[in-house]
Amino acid sequence: MSASPSTAAEPESGTAGEPGAPPDRGARGAAKRRSPGIRGGERLAGYTFMIPWLIGTAVLTVGPMAWSLYLSFTDYHLIRGGDWIGFANYTAMFDDPMFARAVRVTIIYVVLAVPVKLVASLAVAMLLSQKRRGMGFYRAAFYMPSLIAMSVGIALIWKALFSNDGVQDSIMSSFGWDGGGFLGNPSVSILMLVILAVWSFGAPMVIFLAGLMQVPQELYEAADVDGAGKWKKFVHITLPMLSPVIFFNVLMETVGAFQVFGPAYIIGGEAGSPAWSTLFYTVRIYTLAFTDFRMGYASAYAWLLVVAVGIVTLIMFRAAKQLVFYAAEDK
Amino acid sequence: MNRYPYRARRRTLLGGAGAAAALGMTAACGDDGPAGTADDPIELSFEWWGNDDRAEITRQAVDLFEEKNEGITVTTNFADFPDYWQTMTTRMAGQDLPDVFQMDYSRLLQFGGNGMLLPLDGLVDTSDFIEGFLDTGYVNGELVAVPVAGNTLGLVYRADWFEAAGVTLEPGYTWADYQKAMREVTENLAEDGKWGGGDFAGQYHFMELWLRQAGGSFYTEDGTALNFDKAQLVEWWSMNQDLAADGVVPDIGTTSQWEEGGLVLDALGSEIGWDNFMPWFAPAVAENGGTLALAAPPSQDPNNIGLYLKPSMQFVVGANTEHPDESAKLIDFLLTDPEAIAILGTNRGVPATNVGRDNVEVDEVSQQVLDYEASVEQYLASPPPPPPAATGSIEQKFAEVYEQVLFEELSAEDGADTFFTEAETLLASEQ
Repeated sequence: MSASPSTAAEPESGTAGEPGAPPDRGARGAAKRRSPGIRGGERLAGYTFMIPWLIGTAVLTVGPMAWSLYLSFTDYHLIRGGDWIGFANYTAMFDDPMFARAVRVTIIYVVLAVPVKLVASLAVAMLLSQKRRGMGFYRAAFYMPSLIAMSVGIALIWKALFSNDGVQDSIMSSFGWDGGGFLGNPSVSILMLVILAVWSFGAPMVIFLAGLMQVPQELYEAADVDGAGKWKKFVHITLPMLSPVIFFNVLMETVGAFQVFGPAYIIGGEAGSPAWSTLFYTVRIYTLAFTDFRMGYASAYAWLLVVAVGIVTLIMFRAAKQLVFYAAEDK
Repeated sequence: MNRYPYRARRRTLLGGAGAAAALGMTAACGDDGPAGTADDPIELSFEWWGNDDRAEITRQAVDLFEEKNEGITVTTNFADFPDYWQTMTTRMAGQDLPDVFQMDYSRLLQFGGNGMLLPLDGLVDTSDFIEGFLDTGYVNGELVAVPVAGNTLGLVYRADWFEAAGVTLEPGYTWADYQKAMREVTENLAEDGKWGGGDFAGQYHFMELWLRQAGGSFYTEDGTALNFDKAQLVEWWSMNQDLAADGVVPDIGTTSQWEEGGLVLDALGSEIGWDNFMPWFAPAVAENGGTLALAAPPSQDPNNIGLYLKPSMQFVVGANTEHPDESAKLIDFLLTDPEAIAILGTNRGVPATNVGRDNVEVDEVSQQVLDYEASVEQYLASPPPPPPAATGSIEQKFAEVYEQVLFEELSAEDGADTFFTEAETLLASEQ
């Protein structure tokens, strides 16, 4: 506020030439130091505006997390309560045949779904980054599935597509497949969910698309002058320039894949049918908590997942230091 | 970038957050409460498991109840059996149970033992129940459930298919006889997608029957442990191995995709099951040009076929209801009002009240069920104590682990180990 009179006075003082300038600059600097961010009253206002968020975080995130961490050291029964049992829940998992199965199913899913989904979304993003007529429509069309893929309706359609004599069975049978629908065949049923994940590649695709737009065209032009082919340009320009975006997507998708629940629950049910082949870790947590009422044990399961995902994320960040190329760092 | 940790935490918290949300729900309450007049009616919720047919007649009976009791409106809801219990257990956690809902004997202790059901003594009119029927409604000496109808196990079979194969099941026939009969019917049918019967070893009720026939039981008397050993389970689970290998019964890859029972789908010639399912199966079978018959299940001992009269389903009132009197009134109405009984018919089984039996129109199929129950009456033993609270989960694990065995993911021995681990943990968690 104090700066404005001085600036308003400037036209008149301007005739005084240079000598008027230093105090003016000084006044402006002082105004900066007294900017809204550092004023006590406004700081309070800032925190006041944050209160709804802070309450939400405390009540809906931090509080329940702390509570579930506590529960994981008890034999808490959803109705009857429970007692402190130390690490018994965590050690019990080693003797739990369904724990081993849930871990196996989840890891297989992550290892299959994430790379396939990312390769597919990058490939489509490269096609969609060309300048063609109607590209907006195609981009929207390819993004669309990701909006509905996690819905109950799609999961039910998926069941129908992959049942015996369903679309997948009839098409594959004409090529000599005799394994029936994926839905009833435990050795391949997880592919249903992998395909569902790949089909819904909209989010990473859009991010790749944005990343591709950022790659400076002059790099490609320079490569053209040097006579590089398409593959060389892809390997030596696109991939390195895109590596931060790739890293982001890999991380995002991996963490998300560990937590897949909705479609798995609808397609395989609590039993992870057929034969526990879709018994995802999260489905097992849900069954333990809300069918068996073993909330303490379910909480231990959940915290182990937090730790596991944390470790995977950490490893990825370490690896990223070697593999990811940030263009800005070279300047 | 810092979105992931946030997302990760939010999801893994499902358990804890769910419990918190559930607690929050109980806090939900309205104004001073409805007055129970036409303008400000008392609202009851009434839920059951079943199908569209049952929904239609139940809605008609409920409409009649609303007509006769001005000031009470009833919202109804239903689901199929597995979904029903999935939601009910979740809602039990949130103390958000309906006012009136349908109960299964295997779940009675899980709900009643945890104080989730309202004691009905003095609330519901119990004077008219047929003798012995009420016995199964008590938990810790308190009446918390009233029976809607009774049922017992039997063998439902396609009389036309069995006749065509020249197979008869003489009273006192053994499990091996039954397997032989299935084989002959399947071979005689000689048609893809049709079998003389299905693999029955995945249902814990049938193993219980088998154990009872040898004088045993599934649970110990106090319900804290299994009352059989792994060798017995392996024997039970290996029983149909040869039949499956020879294609006498459909394989698991096929049956696991069935949305409906094999009898309804015109695929199976026989099924061990609850006799009150007959009216469900009969119309579909008749549509396919078949006829159904009902016989006693196979036995190990002709003098002890292990049967007992079980309530096919019960009506209960949620402990957190705000309208106990009106809830009881609805139950009384459904079980003893002659008009309601006429509407509901035998859809839930032959009524458990005298006035019900007098007023229900017994069609041919229901008469078959009644005749059957009369024919095995002398063999009906006293029911086992209410199964332990973990039974619902144990029943599911029993089927899931047997599925592992059928898919050859586990041997019968490893499967038995797995089931025992799971069952013992579940039983311990409810102590």
